[in-house]
Amino acid sequence: MLFQQIINGLTLGMTYALIAVGYSLVFGILRLVNFSHGSVYAFGANSILFLISMNIGIMPALILGIFLTGALGVIVDKTALEPLRKQHAESITSLITTIGVSSVITNLLTAQLGSQKRSFPSLFPAGSLNIGSISLTYTQLGMLFISLALLLGLLAIVNRTKIGLAMRASEQNIRAAQIMGINVNGVISFTFFLGGMSAAIAGALVSSYYSMAYPNMGYTAGLKAFAAAVLGGIGSLPGSLVGGLLVGSVESMAATLLGSEFRDSMAFIILIIVLVIRPHGLFGKKEIKKV
Amino acid sequence: MTAKNQNALDSLKKYAATPIFTYIALAIAFALLIAVPFMGLDSYVMNILVKVSIYVTMALGLNILVGFTGLVSLGQAGFVAVGAYTTTILTTMYGWNYFLALPVCILFSVLVGILIGLPSLRLTGTYLSIITLGFGEIVRTIIIVWEPMTRGPLGIRGIPKPSLFGVQFTMANAGLYFLSIVLMLLVTLFTHLLIRSKTGRAFRAIKGDEMAAMMMGINVTYYKVLAFVLAAVISALAGSLYSTQLGYIDQNTFTFDMSTMILSIVILGGMGTIRGMFIGSAILVILPEVSRSLMDYRFVIYGLILILMMRFRPQGLLGWKSRRPYPISPKALALKEEAASKEGWSTHA
Amino acid sequence: MKKVLRVLSLLLVVSMVFGLAACGPKDGGKEADKKPAEEKVEKQEEGKEKADDKKEDAAKSDDKVEAGEVKIAVAAPLTGDNSEYGIGFKNAVTMMADTWNAKGGVNNSQIKVELFDDKNSPEEGVSVANKIASSGDIHCVIGHFASGVCMAAAPVYQENNVIEISPSSSHPDYSSIGDFIFRNNTVIVHEAKASIDIAVNDLGKKNIGIISIKTDWGVSTAGIVKDIIADLGDDVSVVAHEEVIEGSDDYRPAITKLDEAGADVVICVGMYNLVAPVARQYKEINPDIKLVGFSNSYSEELIKLGGEAVEDVSFPVIFFSKSDDEKVKAFVSEYSEKFGSEPSALTAQAYDSAGIYFTALEKAGPGADAKAVRDEIAKLSYDGVTGLTKFDDNGDVQKTFTKVTIKDGDFVLLKDAQ
Repeated sequence: MLFQQIINGLTLGMTYALIAVGYSLVFGILRLVNFSHGSVYAFGANSILFLISMNIGIMPALILGIFLTGALGVIVDKTALEPLRKQHAESITSLITTIGVSSVITNLLTAQLGSQKRSFPSLFPAGSLNIGSISLTYTQLGMLFISLALLLGLLAIVNRTKIGLAMRASEQNIRAAQIMGINVNGVISFTFFLGGMSAAIAGALVSSYYSMAYPNMGYTAGLKAFAAAVLGGIGSLPGSLVGGLLVGSVESMAATLLGSEFRDSMAFIILIIVLVIRPHGLFGKKEIKKV
Repeated sequence: MTAKNQNALDSLKKYAATPIFTYIALAIAFALLIAVPFMGLDSYVMNILVKVSIYVTMALGLNILVGFTGLVSLGQAGFVAVGAYTTTILTTMYGWNYFLALPVCILFSVLVGILIGLPSLRLTGTYLSIITLGFGEIVRTIIIVWEPMTRGPLGIRGIPKPSLFGVQFTMANAGLYFLSIVLMLLVTLFTHLLIRSKTGRAFRAIKGDEMAAMMMGINVTYYKVLAFVLAAVISALAGSLYSTQLGYIDQNTFTFDMSTMILSIVILGGMGTIRGMFIGSAILVILPEVSRSLMDYRFVIYGLILILMMRFRPQGLLGWKSRRPYPISPKALALKEEAASKEGWSTHA
Repeated sequence: MKKVLRVLSLLLVVSMVFGLAACGPKDGGKEADKKPAEEKVEKQEEGKEKADDKKEDAAKSDDKVEAGEVKIAVAAPLTGDNSEYGIGFKNAVTMMADTWNAKGGVNNSQIKVELFDDKNSPEEGVSVANKIASSGDIHCVIGHFASGVCMAAAPVYQENNVIEISPSSSHPDYSSIGDFIFRNNTVIVHEAKASIDIAVNDLGKKNIGIISIKTDWGVSTAGIVKDIIADLGDDVSVVAHEEVIEGSDDYRPAITKLDEAGADVVICVGMYNLVAPVARQYKEINPDIKLVGFSNSYSEELIKLGGEAVEDVSFPVIFFSKSDDEKVKAFVSEYSEKFGSEPSALTAQAYDSAGIYFTALEKAGPGADAKAVRDEIAKLSYDGVTGLTKFDDNGDVQKTFTKVTIKDGDFVLLKDAQ
């Protein structure tokens, strides 16, 4: 039974990793905790559900929803955060702005769609694969596979492409990157786009797993994914994956062994332990403070 | 603002700086605060006023961390919960008097403050904020899990109003109002004195440049933990009062939303100012109440206010003088005005 | 200087206080009292228009109740989780009020429905209760939805002599809070007996699993269910009991445990937003599991959210929209026509609750105070869509249950489905 729970946990952990990527990418470049990311994730799931209900077919709805959510990420950056960068505002200013953005997105969703949970169609065929006593539903298999493929894809973008090079350069030193002729604002927007897209995909997968979506779904998921990102070392993509998987499986085990009331704070308990022992997370790079 | 207005404002400010005006204004404000309960306001309005003053207190606590010391806490609701639950458990389960429970509440919040302050030895900036966020969530879980004490998700109902020598401080006899005002004024006075003390200067030095403060021989660790302890105690006291006002608490009273609310008050009013906490709390507490008819859209407006504030007035509504690094006495201010021609020498951190 | 500014801000706050004060109901004398003070503040608050704004607000909210108007409040979750229940309350009470108004109102006074959103949170509930109690012209509240919210708000109503009729609260302790506190719902003990009856006698199962939400209502209901089963004898037993936090989406750990304990029927102590996901997630690992719920899961949202997985989910209700009763038929068709969906059990209970208040109000006669109306309610025997309502000394009611299940995506009588 425990093993089954770990498998369930790993499946969820994969989606945490997908959301965590959004925090991680943005933090890497801007050193900013983007609190609006959880609501972007909720927007992703709900917009896909809305598009599906428009009867344009599941696949077009998914693709359109994913792009819309990516675009939302860019809009958030362009309207709320970029002006602050131009003003060289203090970091807390941006932090508060993202909290405000999160409130706007979530409550607009609620006002438009109502807060009730709505049924989300299954994206994968019913049924399951049984290996010994463990059963993996096709939904779980699909989630694992798609998440992993996406994370590898993101890794490839960051490490193998020209824009990825620009992202890494901006991460190293944003001003130097600018001087070298990199369109830093473009790179940042692209980062937000990637973050939004992966959040929307995670949203669709999770909603399909639970068969429901609702406007407030981003709150806990966002906080947990954020914990996962910090845990793995914020700014590091493999770190996000490991952090997500760790949070997912520990959560699932805690729910089984200790009771379901423990599950929601497991992410934070391991987070604090790890941060106190290794202040920059498992895979994070130590920043050297220059005086 | 036109030059003419600026002149008018300047002369007003000059007039406002005279001590006589200060005392008159203080006296009027004080008289009004005392007069409020005798104006026959209904209990709904009184409830909101009490809530405003409690949030002022909480914001003053967080201000010590965020405004003075530059440590951003995202888990202030955790401290509030510690205070609320400590006094509530003592009064409802063990039948203690509310005022007897307060020292225990302070003691407990000091311990929690130290506990949360300790990671700040190793962590700075964003990572410290993350720890506080985690702390807030863990407090909620402890509330859920520690059922024998906290009644878990069932919450604690029927929290008695504080009473002293047989007199109950209720909403109806305005006792609760005066209690919250007294707490608010005491904390205001305390912060007022604090920022002018050696400790307050050390806090500001840490905010300005931690490394430099350390070089100057300031025990940075000690002062950071102290800031956490002070914030914890103040928030806990406010929390204990808040629980008696609500009459009901459960883990959902103290969510991340509450932490962001307190932080928003500090930011909106103006970090590092005392007056800002009053205006910030008044706006953010009253706004959702007066806009009830907007239903879900009222929190959209709330979010928009935060965004627009950060964009156009990041120093907060009343933060226009907070650039001044150290509080300067009126005498020193007069000296400074004399030296106004040599502008610049005293205004840099 | 700093001190001065602080004082200035203090004054500003105080001026806002006055602004708020102006929003509340008041008489002329008070107005005169505060005028000079406010002017003083304004002089010092040069350039700050806040006080003016507030004055305008005050002028707007000054519309006094017209002569011959009766107010009734609906306090329920109109936004947030469970808002569909609150909206049902709102629709039902409005409909009942319209019916009375069409007949000329109560004692020739037109009825006005005032809406208050409590978001299903006890904190907001208390705030709403204070608002209603201090309004002075609202003597009856239909609502609060969840038992926890009802019980947090009830003391405020009791203290201020406001009649509270909850269409939904079933917690044993609710109605004993005071004599102004009523409910048009059965105490959970009776409903739990009916649910267990479905599980044991109608479905013929012996190994009962319980999954319950951790709220005041959920914990006490789960305890009552366990007690009743313990009294049934040796061959029926509770094999596992799992508690879950309301609103979490993943019930798989709890379900795995229930399944491994060998439960063949699971009693879901929760609303439709528990029953639907549990049904979906349970049927992934055990398609044969039978689920039994409570009347508060009787909502069209259950079928919308649960889809095929909620087939065979059964529960007892005191109102069934497909009943043959003429009154029910008329109510359902009118409701469906107006609001585009069928009324749920709790909506019907809210409808009757409002009817009870208006009837009592009429019987008490014009100008009767809240106490007199309360006494009329206590005496009343009201024949509505949820059967005959007669309050006992506690303010509780007894109703007969109808057993309902879901077949082919629709609610049907359990006996027809078998």
